[in-house]
Amino acid sequence: MATAPYNYSYIFKYIIIGDMGVGKSCLLHQFTEKKFMADCPHTIGVEFGTRIIEVSGQKIKLQIWDTAGQERFRAVTRSYYRGAAGALMVYDITRRSTYNHLSSWLTDARNLTNPNTVIILIGNKADLEAQRDVTYEEAKQFAEENGGFMLKVNIKMGENVEDAFLEAAKKIYQNIQDGSLDLNAAESGVQHKPSAPQGGRLTSEPQPQREGCGC
Amino acid sequence: MSDKDDTETPVLTETVPDGNCEPAKNSECVDQNAKPGSKSEPVGSTRKRPEAKPSSDLETSKVLPVQETTSKDVPQTGWGYWGSWGKSLLSSASATVATVGQGISTVIEKAETSLGIPSPSEISTEKYAPGETNAKENENSSPVAGPFGVFSTISTAVQSTGKSVISGGLDALEFIGKKTMDVIAEGDPGFKRTKGLMNRNSTLSQVLREAKEKEAVRTASEVTMETDKKTHYGLLFDEFQGLSHLEALEMLSRESEIKVKSVLNSLSGEELETLKLELQQLKETFSLAEFCDEEEEEKKGDEDFTKEITELFSQLHVSSKPEKLAKARNTAHEWIRKSLTKPLAEKGEEKQSEAENNERVNENSVEDIHAFAIRSLAELTACSIELFHKTAALLLHGRKQEVMAIERSQTLSQMTVMLCKELSFLSKEFTTCLTTAGVKEKADILNPLITAVFLEASNSASYIQDAFQLLLPVLQISLIENKMESSRHEQQSQRPLSE
Repeated sequence: MATAPYNYSYIFKYIIIGDMGVGKSCLLHQFTEKKFMADCPHTIGVEFGTRIIEVSGQKIKLQIWDTAGQERFRAVTRSYYRGAAGALMVYDITRRSTYNHLSSWLTDARNLTNPNTVIILIGNKADLEAQRDVTYEEAKQFAEENGGFMLKVNIKMGENVEDAFLEAAKKIYQNIQDGSLDLNAAESGVQHKPSAPQGGRLTSEPQPQREGCGC
Repeated sequence: MSDKDDTETPVLTETVPDGNCEPAKNSECVDQNAKPGSKSEPVGSTRKRPEAKPSSDLETSKVLPVQETTSKDVPQTGWGYWGSWGKSLLSSASATVATVGQGISTVIEKAETSLGIPSPSEISTEKYAPGETNAKENENSSPVAGPFGVFSTISTAVQSTGKSVISGGLDALEFIGKKTMDVIAEGDPGFKRTKGLMNRNSTLSQVLREAKEKEAVRTASEVTMETDKKTHYGLLFDEFQGLSHLEALEMLSRESEIKVKSVLNSLSGEELETLKLELQQLKETFSLAEFCDEEEEEKKGDEDFTKEITELFSQLHVSSKPEKLAKARNTAHEWIRKSLTKPLAEKGEEKQSEAENNERVNENSVEDIHAFAIRSLAELTACSIELFHKTAALLLHGRKQEVMAIERSQTLSQMTVMLCKELSFLSKEFTTCLTTAGVKEKADILNPLITAVFLEASNSASYIQDAFQLLLPVLQISLIENKMESSRHEQQSQRPLSE
């Protein structure tokens, strides 16, 4: 890890939310380590993972907050939403209850993040097709009815995991490019590092806090 | 479940604007020496050791000698803890004196000139009675000089100069502590901005992140040398997720603080006074975290640390275990032990076997030791902060509490002291490794490395102490919730009686 390149131009904060046991930590592990982890211990509070990806030639560091799904941690994990640029909302296609709770997770995600936060719905464990309990169509309908977030319902381990994280990043980056996401806003969930080598196109760095004593 | 959401959401939405707590922070951060992470209320004032009180309190007899030296620095610095930290570094300094003679004075001189602090002799004449210095020096240098019989003659030779150097060194090291932020951002062109940030409204982790980002940019663009990355404390600390855990802990702390305030606002009269008193008692346990014990013989084995920290942790009654921390610590000690027992000639191959700990090892052993030292310090600190964060999360998850908040805070306070001592001890060991391996090196190669290890050790200690302070609001709200819970129980059990 020490050899990882440090020359990225943006940091995006992601949170992963959803019921206990839907495979949030596995998703994270899959994405950061590219390995399937069969037995994740329960997450306490939040765990972290990072990976540098590339979107439109820009290196972006994803700082991923993998929250605890247990109900008893709900109040605690709500504290972690702030300043997330992306939220991955996960359910388990083999357990309907995890799908039924989505509206409550969505409420949290909407209330506790900023309006520009990109929300992605992830139907996990699509490899267990035989035990499927929630159809693709109804999840799609849920996404449409609740509007404004992206759908990624066919996650099989190792297959579409990558996509989900990348697509969220693309969307966030797009929001930055078209100006709908204000980098100077306190809780955009994005940090820009303008002087990074590849990021040379932007020289007017956002320096909102220049006053204060310079000693 | 949805019912629950409805009732809880408003509490949280209140916190989103964040505006109401900012001004307080601003004013506090105007002093650049003030710790950026310290919370406006009620933690802020607890940073100083409770000098006015201790005589009536526990363990005072032990505290007093330390205060003698440190209290003088408090008004000047506002960083009460540095006093004692400096003290524990003192023995490291003298260890170095005992082994490399003029080494430490050069280190300190270098540090001083670069930091612009008064010369050692100046400080020593101002602040220390000669007798006191002497006693300290002897006490600290003799056990260390023991194993290095060869150097013991040198040790006596430098004793006379060592005296002023060491007492000055104490101040120098304290000063280094205060200047840690400066040094993090040393060579950072955007540093003024970082400072500006600090003075404004940012939280500690933000500032650190900022400094780190800047440094990362610099590292990436200007310095491409692998070794530079390998020895960059800030980058390593972030890699071990130290910053993330600190940020998360800050979030929990901030929310708890807001909740505590709103509870206090909702109470009045006797109820309010009682609660205030209890919160005050809790707060006091947070200001007692200091290195109150006289420098004891720290020859603890690996098992002892693991045992002790596990023991302390079990007293917290949270379902988290310090295994990761203990492992990181033991790896470091094992490495040091091997490094010190093997003769120099074998060093090269010996380290090959340690490759997994130290990435790709190059031949230059002094740099290896330095890199491993910095890495270990960063890892241990990150693990410690992770532990504190997990503890906070577990305290807040709303299960019935088996332990009183005040007992927990005492335990956590002990833990903080223990961790900081451990870091101090580790840094001493690492510098011993450095001086042993670097006998042939020139001072201008060796000394900056030694300085860096001390610096990052004090850095580490300050992160840990900050993280500890962040736990106060968490424990306060846990105390309040526990109280409410038990009063509800009482009411329920009283009702049938009265009927």
